[in-house]
Amino acid sequence: METPHTEHLSSVDYEHVYEPAEDSFLLLDALESDLKFLDKLQPRLCVEIGSGSGIIITALAKHFAHTSICLATDINPRACNATKRTASRNGARLDSVRCNLAAALRRRSVDLLLFNPPYVVTSDEELHCQTLMSDQAANSATQRNLVYSWAGGRDGRRVIDILLEQLEDILSPSGVLYLLLLRENKPDEIIKQLANLKFKAVKYMERRIPGEYLYILKVTRDPD
Amino acid sequence: MKLSTYNFLTSMAIKGVKVGYPLKLTINKKDVIESEFNPVFIERLLPKLDWSAVYGAAQVAELAEDIPAAQPENIAEDEQLLQRLHHLLFEIDVLEGQLECPETGRIFPIADGIPNMLLNEDEV
Repeated sequence: METPHTEHLSSVDYEHVYEPAEDSFLLLDALESDLKFLDKLQPRLCVEIGSGSGIIITALAKHFAHTSICLATDINPRACNATKRTASRNGARLDSVRCNLAAALRRRSVDLLLFNPPYVVTSDEELHCQTLMSDQAANSATQRNLVYSWAGGRDGRRVIDILLEQLEDILSPSGVLYLLLLRENKPDEIIKQLANLKFKAVKYMERRIPGEYLYILKVTRDPD
Repeated sequence: MKLSTYNFLTSMAIKGVKVGYPLKLTINKKDVIESEFNPVFIERLLPKLDWSAVYGAAQVAELAEDIPAAQPENIAEDEQLLQRLHHLLFEIDVLEGQLECPETGRIFPIADGIPNMLLNEDEV
């Protein structure tokens, strides 16, 4: 997979939309290294939740051009827009949908799901404070959106745990999820939690970066 | 928003809504963008699509003459129909319009090709 061009996005965009960073590249690398599996899976519907700049779903849409429907969701309208621009700059075709997680999609329809969640550990107070502070700022809505792109609450799990509870309703029978996690999110605990929900999860890839240790969890339905 | 995407959208997340499907589509502005026809993919996609929403989209896009109201059998052998489905689902891009929840009438606007399906906290 080619890494999509992003030079059409400027520092002004990155004031409102999460800028691709090591976590984004780890998720891209994981997909690249698992292409054999993905090509065999032949996903008919690929969805990235919280697509931000759109580089990940764009790379995928290029790889699966004319063989898959690719959708990107984000609650931030500027991210929806940036994702479409990234797709168009790279000659990929996908649609952006503004919604919370996969809430607007038909049940059990997603064959390939990607999620680089807001995973940074923040106290609920801090999260509240951040959103409150930005509420008072002139450009409150977009500031708040940027906070939502990284602030993960307790153990960084605020949004991750909601997604896990909904996974049964999101993934198709043969569906697979690639989920980016931080060590502080307690990946082993998440793997156990998923086992209780009848999903099989493995640490597919991991990488140490300055100040963080990242994992990609690969999650499928447990056949047993 | 392509009409293939439309096929997967629902308002089920609204509190009290039972099915929330298919959404009532209105197209105010659309574009037609040619894309490569892959009959094998269209055929593989069909079991995943809801035909009532395929036909509904065809009616709104004024292509109802091209698409039968009920899904025919042996569609794989009908290359012309596969081509028409490809055009309907992947070449029409809805730029401005709206989607309406069939149960509550809640409107979801489509602007710049992006449907806004985000619900307020008091709606979920």
